[in-house]
Amino acid sequence: METLETIKNLTMTQWSFYAVSVLTLFGALGTILSKNPIHSVIYLIMTFFSLSAHYVLLNAQFLAAVNIVVYAGAIMVLFLFVVMFLNIKDEAPELDNNKIVIGASIVGGTIGVILVAAIRLTESQKIDPSTYQIKTGFIETLGQLLYSKYLLPFELVSVLFLIAMSGAVMLGRKEKGERNF
Amino acid sequence: MYPIISLSVTGLLTLFLGFSENKKIVFPASIAFLLIALATAFIDWNAPGFYFNDMLQVNNTSIVFWAILIISAILIMGFSEGFERFEFAQPAEYFAIVQFSLVGAIMMVSFKNLIMLFLGIEILSVAMYVLTGADKRNIRGNEAALKYFLMGAFATGILLFGMAMFYGATGTFNIGSGVFIGGDNSFFLWIGCTFMLIGMLFKVAAAPFHLWTPDVYEGAPTIFTAYMSTIVKTAGFVALFKVLSTTFSGLQDFWWIMIAVLVTLSLMIGNIGAVSQNSFKRLMAYSSISHAGFMLLALLGDHENALGSIMFYSVVYTLATISAFGVLMVVSKERIEKGRVYEQNDLFKGLAQNNGFLATVLIIAMLSLAGIPLTGGFWGKFFVFRDAASSGLFWVIIMAVLMSAIAIYYYFKPVLLSMSKKTSLESITINPLAKFIFAITTFGTIVLGIFPWILRSLF
Amino acid sequence: MENQLPAMPDVIAQVPLNNYVLLASILFIIGIAGVLIRRNAIIMLMSIELMLNAVNLLLVAFSSYRSDPNGQIFVFFIMAVAAAEVAVGLAIIVMIYRNIRSIDISLLDKLRG
Repeated sequence: METLETIKNLTMTQWSFYAVSVLTLFGALGTILSKNPIHSVIYLIMTFFSLSAHYVLLNAQFLAAVNIVVYAGAIMVLFLFVVMFLNIKDEAPELDNNKIVIGASIVGGTIGVILVAAIRLTESQKIDPSTYQIKTGFIETLGQLLYSKYLLPFELVSVLFLIAMSGAVMLGRKEKGERNF
Repeated sequence: MYPIISLSVTGLLTLFLGFSENKKIVFPASIAFLLIALATAFIDWNAPGFYFNDMLQVNNTSIVFWAILIISAILIMGFSEGFERFEFAQPAEYFAIVQFSLVGAIMMVSFKNLIMLFLGIEILSVAMYVLTGADKRNIRGNEAALKYFLMGAFATGILLFGMAMFYGATGTFNIGSGVFIGGDNSFFLWIGCTFMLIGMLFKVAAAPFHLWTPDVYEGAPTIFTAYMSTIVKTAGFVALFKVLSTTFSGLQDFWWIMIAVLVTLSLMIGNIGAVSQNSFKRLMAYSSISHAGFMLLALLGDHENALGSIMFYSVVYTLATISAFGVLMVVSKERIEKGRVYEQNDLFKGLAQNNGFLATVLIIAMLSLAGIPLTGGFWGKFFVFRDAASSGLFWVIIMAVLMSAIAIYYYFKPVLLSMSKKTSLESITINPLAKFIFAITTFGTIVLGIFPWILRSLF
Repeated sequence: MENQLPAMPDVIAQVPLNNYVLLASILFIIGIAGVLIRRNAIIMLMSIELMLNAVNLLLVAFSSYRSDPNGQIFVFFIMAVAAAEVAVGLAIIVMIYRNIRSIDISLLDKLRG
């Protein structure tokens, strides 16, 4: 009865939090359990959209937009492209390999139980509305910080992209000559 | 600070050099670029400070490590001349990626903010994934690249989770001030510390996070195996030391026992695993796991000495490893079986008779790795043992000494093979540059074995 | 326009931070489990993306609850790095597919002691 009371008393925001969370976890489970890689991709896109919804709830609108543009827009298209390009059919019955599944469940379960149990124990402190900065996730704040304090890492990300660009071109290019096994 | 700028610019220039008709110019140009970066490193000598809003910390210690990293890269890249057949189908890209990866390594030894650490690790790792798969037609290289990539990306995820928890506990990414257990957030701090350590120990190949090491070392082109076992390891250990000695120094009781257990595990798995290996590169992989154990031992001691010991150890380990892999590269290209170079231990059979110089280089490198007196390796081990002894951890030290005894057995396998009478090799050609590098590394190993204080007294 | 902004988002007043930490941790563990149980390289890569997204959610939650923008800047960097990593990873997968016509990592067993 108590749980029912709790559910009845949920506010609109809490409802949306729980609904979006369920959607997130459903998408995540779908990603790792689907047999067909294309289904995995679609589930993963669903997870990304629901994470964006979380960001909107948390008042980080700019990151929500960037999340959709970068992840759902660019990264997942790349995934989908590779899956279609390689024409990967349903692979061999990989999930039937019981030893791996049992081992992985034990590892995952242990970490999970420790984390969940410990997080339950920690108290979260109250937030004082008078000192709260509503503009935290706004584009002005983030832009100012990114181009002043974080200028050096921002510039150095370009080095990473240069490596990724030349590396991907180098590895993806077709090579003449025979293979060596 | 200047080598970061210099290497980013010259890396870009190297990419453009790839457009030129004459591909031969890329190699000398890259070496020249690395020398320029080495020179710029010393501009900041005796001018310690923080740059770019507390993103970078520059002092003489970090400059010494920059120099070590850049010199190691120059020594390793020296072997790439004349290796067009496998790795150097597109020389410009390789040399550019090597220079960019050094930017990551330099960030890892002089970061002041966790964002810089994360980006440095990623720049170095992504470059290494690409270089591991550089020999595209070799299925072993492909397999190594995929394994390294998946394991590395997984480790990155764990490291990031640790950083996020750390941020949750402290509200900052700056590593300047120490943190202490206590209050509401201690749980976040524990998780943060544990996960960050796991993520970084993955990168330096300490047991039990070493599972990728033997396969990746064996499958990668030898020159990049040498790169990964020297530069990635040195940078990784300095980063680990910086995180543990500044931010997490207040949690020492917590991580101390964890590191002690990992030292034991790394030494056991590394040394016992190496005994049964027939492939020289797998042997070196297990040896690198055990050396990770020795370098972790330094972290257990007093922080005042630890950095000096890590510096000394990584220098002697780097010199010996470059010699060993260099000899392997030079000798193995003489013997091709089934379209790829032959890299088993018995490749060295009769090397002493065939080419005395290479055999001497190999034997001194192996003696140094085993920690025999009069080589640098002995003093490297001596300093970390002394550090660990100051912390009173005698069971770990006894274990480490026992394991060093086992190590002598497997390091002597290639040595004894090279002394044997029968030889399976034709005469071996060494180009002058490789000869020069061997001379430097061997001479360095012996000088550090006789006069360790010239390097150890730096800081 | 300025005075239409609320003092703080509803979710911060009504949902405790621990719920977000819990959600992110579960998402992270699902990602770990995916890496461990699947043998298909592309799906393993997707599981790693899930792990990174769990970290992003955690950082955004911490950053929002403390109204400290540094955490959200870190998320930018994670997104940039994830994009670079995925590009390199998919290039490696394409390269392997060219050679063995499969991306099941248990078929890759040439490296043995």
